[in-house]
Amino acid sequence: MLTGLDIEGTTLLHRTSARLKLIVLFAVAAGLFAVSNVWLLVAFAIIAAGLYASTGIGLREAFRRVRFVLFTVLLVALANYLFHSLSDALAVLFRLGTLVLLAAAVTATTTVSAFMDEIAVLLRPLERLGLLRAADVSLAVGLVLRFAPEILARYGDIREAHRARGLRARPLGVLVPLVILTLKDADTIAMAIDARGFRRQ
Amino acid sequence: MEIVFSDASVSFAGRTALHPLSLTLFERRIGIIGLNGSGKTTFARLINGLVRPTTGRVTIGGLDTVADEEAARGRAGFIFQNPQHQMILPVLAEDIAFGLKNRGLSATEIAGRTEAVLQRFGIPHLARRRIHELSGGETQLAAIASVMVTGPDVLILDEPTNQLDLKNRRLIEKTVADLPEQAIVITHDLGLLDSFDRVLLFHQGRLAADAPPEDAISRYREIAAC
Repeated sequence: MLTGLDIEGTTLLHRTSARLKLIVLFAVAAGLFAVSNVWLLVAFAIIAAGLYASTGIGLREAFRRVRFVLFTVLLVALANYLFHSLSDALAVLFRLGTLVLLAAAVTATTTVSAFMDEIAVLLRPLERLGLLRAADVSLAVGLVLRFAPEILARYGDIREAHRARGLRARPLGVLVPLVILTLKDADTIAMAIDARGFRRQ
Repeated sequence: MEIVFSDASVSFAGRTALHPLSLTLFERRIGIIGLNGSGKTTFARLINGLVRPTTGRVTIGGLDTVADEEAARGRAGFIFQNPQHQMILPVLAEDIAFGLKNRGLSATEIAGRTEAVLQRFGIPHLARRRIHELSGGETQLAAIASVMVTGPDVLILDEPTNQLDLKNRRLIEKTVADLPEQAIVITHDLGLLDSFDRVLLFHQGRLAADAPPEDAISRYREIAAC
């Protein structure tokens, strides 16, 4: 759900701390699996949709962000219908649907740096055990969010380059240059991280 | 800020990228020119310790770039050839603020400094923009702002006007000219160097000229004509 696409705003969700939102999201996620009443789950889904809409995201953008995950949820529900029952399928649909909408609402109202801070806090016990550097892991999360659109754009460029030369863009033919170019960029990015002094944090 | 190279050289995998050189840089505007692969970027990266000298040493404001790596790096900001790669967070204001974290500043101070640097470079309207949506000129300004917010004394720019249209090129030229800080600029845009105090010309890993812009550019043209 994290696409680095928080939207500006001053709604209640925007003003709520990232930590509280994540704790509530986690608690709700656990709690939802204890509920099997379909009507109750429908009510939760409606509330979640209302919360998501209250972020001021706009209907089209709101749907664009969650459509792929909701489609996956739909497939899972369909499988439940085929192998179990209609009520099981509906419970899965509205339970997971509620979670997707709540997670999207949290994503839309939380900045990436706030997420990174919380990841660092969460991982601090592991850092104390000497297993990792919390700041490095949170930085890695930030990098993924930051560079995902660029990698997608590059994928598009390579496909276009194939077409321009009259070649069919085969998956391997696109992926190999994509990986090589991404790794090449990674060196520069690592150097830039050093240059800006991020890793001393 | 005095930057001192003392017999500093750089070799990568047995190949000499920069032959030993000794010089002192203190001028306010210093240009670096040369053909591709001549050692310009290696030389510039020695200044803030991104590249370590294989022999000799480099100091910036008296700080050794190897022994005092972090402190030395804090003195010199670096703008890479592709500034997109040095913007780490997806939103500009967040990226700028991120550079200030864990420096003992309060959230209010970080927000204030971020706002101030955006104002300084005339880009407060870009604060909430996604990095990958910025134009070439905007990205250059954003990268400069993100580096200058930490207060380095020297700014090193690696081909800052590369791939910019004429309008954005002028914007970046003006921004560099107006910087009160010392600036060291690697460039193929020779017009940018007109008002510079000193220009270093590199050729095949050696310093081929160290002179005022006119003389260094004239020598560069001779080399390029060969």
